[in-house]
Amino acid sequence: MNSSPHIQPPKFLLRFFRWFCDPAIAEDIEGDLREIFERDVATTGNITKAKLQFSVRVLGLFRPGIVKKIGRSSLLNHPSPMFKNYFITSVRSLVRSAGFSTINVVGLAVGLATFSLIAFYVYSELSFDRHHEKADRIFRIVENLRTENEELFQSTSSPPMGPRFLKDFPEVENYVRLQQWNLLAQRNEVSSYERECYIADSTVFDVFSFKLLKGDKKTALREPFSIVLTESMAKKYFENEDPLGQTLKMDYDNFKVTGVMEDVPENSHFRFSNLISFSTWSRNNKDNEDRAWFWNGFHTYVLLREDASVDNVRAKMKDFLQRNVEKSGMYYEDLPLQPLASIYMAPPRAWENGTRGSMNNIYILSIVAVFILLIACFNYINLATARASRRLKEVGLRKTLGALRRMLIAQFLGESLIITFIASLIAVILVWITLPPFRTLVESPLSFSILPNVWIVAGAIIGLVIFIGLLAGAYPAYIISKFQPVQIFRPSVKGIFGHNALRKVLVSTQFIISIMLVAGTLLVYDQLDVVRKQDLGFDKEGILVVPTNGDTAIVNYLDAIKNELKRVPGVTNVAGSTSTPGQSAGNNYTEIEMTDGKMSPTNINFIYADYDFLTTYQIKLLAGRDFQRDVKSDDTTAYLINETAMKDFSWTPEQAIGKKVRGGRNEGKIIGVMKDFHYRSLHTKVEPLMIAMTRNVGRMSIRVEGKDLPATINRVQKKWNELIPYLPFDYSFLDIEFDRQYKADQQLGKVAGVFTGLAMFIGCLGLLGLTSFVVERRTKEIGIRKVLGATVPSVVMLITREFIWLIVIALVVATPLTWYLISQWEQNFTLQAVINPLRFLMAGIAVFLVAWLTISVLSLRAANANPTKALRME
Amino acid sequence: MNRHQLGEFEEIVMLTVGILYKEAYGVAIIDEIEARQNRKVSIGALQTVLRRLESKGYLTSEFGEATNVRGGKRKRYFSLTSLGSRILRETQDQRVEMFRAIPRIAFPKS
Repeated sequence: MNSSPHIQPPKFLLRFFRWFCDPAIAEDIEGDLREIFERDVATTGNITKAKLQFSVRVLGLFRPGIVKKIGRSSLLNHPSPMFKNYFITSVRSLVRSAGFSTINVVGLAVGLATFSLIAFYVYSELSFDRHHEKADRIFRIVENLRTENEELFQSTSSPPMGPRFLKDFPEVENYVRLQQWNLLAQRNEVSSYERECYIADSTVFDVFSFKLLKGDKKTALREPFSIVLTESMAKKYFENEDPLGQTLKMDYDNFKVTGVMEDVPENSHFRFSNLISFSTWSRNNKDNEDRAWFWNGFHTYVLLREDASVDNVRAKMKDFLQRNVEKSGMYYEDLPLQPLASIYMAPPRAWENGTRGSMNNIYILSIVAVFILLIACFNYINLATARASRRLKEVGLRKTLGALRRMLIAQFLGESLIITFIASLIAVILVWITLPPFRTLVESPLSFSILPNVWIVAGAIIGLVIFIGLLAGAYPAYIISKFQPVQIFRPSVKGIFGHNALRKVLVSTQFIISIMLVAGTLLVYDQLDVVRKQDLGFDKEGILVVPTNGDTAIVNYLDAIKNELKRVPGVTNVAGSTSTPGQSAGNNYTEIEMTDGKMSPTNINFIYADYDFLTTYQIKLLAGRDFQRDVKSDDTTAYLINETAMKDFSWTPEQAIGKKVRGGRNEGKIIGVMKDFHYRSLHTKVEPLMIAMTRNVGRMSIRVEGKDLPATINRVQKKWNELIPYLPFDYSFLDIEFDRQYKADQQLGKVAGVFTGLAMFIGCLGLLGLTSFVVERRTKEIGIRKVLGATVPSVVMLITREFIWLIVIALVVATPLTWYLISQWEQNFTLQAVINPLRFLMAGIAVFLVAWLTISVLSLRAANANPTKALRME
Repeated sequence: MNRHQLGEFEEIVMLTVGILYKEAYGVAIIDEIEARQNRKVSIGALQTVLRRLESKGYLTSEFGEATNVRGGKRKRYFSLTSLGSRILRETQDQRVEMFRAIPRIAFPKS
């Protein structure tokens, strides 16, 4: 890595340095810092390490002699001299009990860092699509569709809807229709599949605020075969050339580049690499565009006028539907309008464009973040009240000398603010070190560009620091300032520590949170396991999927190519189809013969496949037969349906066979009933499905077997390149693609695991501090007990005993809470794991073990100490 | 008793500034000490000492030319003042004198 000139030391640290450093000497020291940093980067190449060392150095410079001289205007001697005194005593007491201060600072720092990371993630998830200027006026038309047997919730709409909305509703100012295409783009040496092509009406730039860098937004998407590239796609195919006016071959057509636009922001619910003019499609499909009311192939967005209310439009919807869509067996129940900004987090409908977030995960993560911060605050409260006895003399003296209670409160609040402030500095460094791994963990790019302006962020951070400082400091300040001098100086100080009960509550709350997190994580994994191991109805292991995009050579020589591929050692079967399990299957208008002999219209999902689809995927048949090569008419008139469809029509498998089907192309018969298989996500139920034959395959599924998978793939690739050299062998593993659907859930599992660990860590820190305090206070008691013959285990037990009780209570409280929350979460899945009560026990034991180990370290030392030392102290 | 007592680290810094002569700026001083003494020097510790010695008048400093490395920040070159050299010499003499004053018998040959 030889790019040291580009790598800058972290800006905020530099800014911090410039802020505190004496301006007379700041310049050359900064120069030195940079020089060492640059040298570190150049010699080690390890940027993270260099940055870490840099921050250590900057913090090391924060010392008298370097820091600005504090002049008359300084806070410290202004206006009340006591302020300076408070500050000094606070710092002294922090330094004197360095161990406790460290625990507090580290705990708060980790807590603040986690909280900020999660807050950043949550913010980015909630910020989707808000960057469009007219975001609050943009709505997506979605459909609630009723068929004979069910109600379908689709995210798509049909081509005539947008134009008709514009015509019928005065409130509608504009509309844009989008449809995703997957095209093979080729130019010079570069050829690859562009999976995120969208055809779009020319109004797309009027509705959304995508920024066109080159080209005219009025005309860019007017002509057929016009294409607007995003910057990164322009770079990919044209490098440094000016793409404007050039042509790009996509599949079989030449597209003229009419514009270049900024990349779609990462927090956009649909993303694309290019936009293709709508007329490219509509010039040959005029009839469909005007009349196909039931073809739900598009995502339509409407822009309302500024003064218009969406409720007015909604009120007229029934009337609109009656006027425009003639009723038949299938009809639109409603056309809801989804506000743009809510789409990303809304429950996904069928055929969504782009991935969707999960509000559940957002809730869970937010709760975890707050929990972790609470644990850290509780640590502070516990330790500060426990340590209060050390400060009694100071407080007593101050009170005797006339300090008012509010002054003392201010002093101790100030102290907690100082600690929180130091913690927040460390937290900033922690965040900045852990941000890259965190990005991988949550699989979100989390770039700073999505954040609002710097002052708002800085304000929020300062607000958080002050809030946490006050939250943690309030109770200790209250308690400490309450002491009466007389009480303090009286030898018996019993009664002062009445807040013991509170400490117990706080510690058990920490245990409750820990147990909830541990048990919750275990249960999340249980659920994910159930999902992963579920019988999908087909075998997803060992299948390579290669897109072909309906390449004509493959379509024409399908059998020959399949035979060639099948001959490669390690390949057991090859099938072609329009889509593969885990992908969306197309949805077609179809008429099906009912039991009474009438043809009933319906919308049903379709996969088009060839002879080998069922065998390759090992899908089982309940009745009837698979497509057969020796039955000539199969490729046009044979249909397979799945179990759900059969049940929907209330047939038995035998009844289903032979029923007439009028599809888009041909009239035919049902020849077989398949056992249900999950051709889409496990989040949704298996929907009715039909399979018909086609030669126009878009994807090849290759089943491979044997041990040496890479070698087999190599051989397949070689063969592929021999047969169809111009088509990239752009394979993916079906099981991996399929599992990607649970990305959000798996992420949740991973994230929960990591944060549970952190929560436990912070909790343990607090416990460590508390134990060391207890041990310290009871040194003499332990000494006497030992002199009188107590054994080491009995002494350890003495100290551990209270905590065990707290854990048992925590377990009792945490179990029903977690049970409830997890069962709520599991509602998301069609197949739910049974909640295993043992998990709670395991969590309890785990928390107990960790807590016990933490405590034992100190209590063992106390128990093993020589009693003479303990008793000689005075 | 001399009023001008140098601390150990102060002395080393002043010696190093002397060694480097015209080239004594922050990073160079650190490198030189680290190379000669085989110890880690933190920039914070060094800069504090440099400023202290300067305010006592033992060292003086001036800015060098700005370059485009170091983020365009100038270097500050330190040099010994005549007072500084005198102090250094006195310290040295004191040490040597004390070293010589150790009785033979207390100083076994190693």
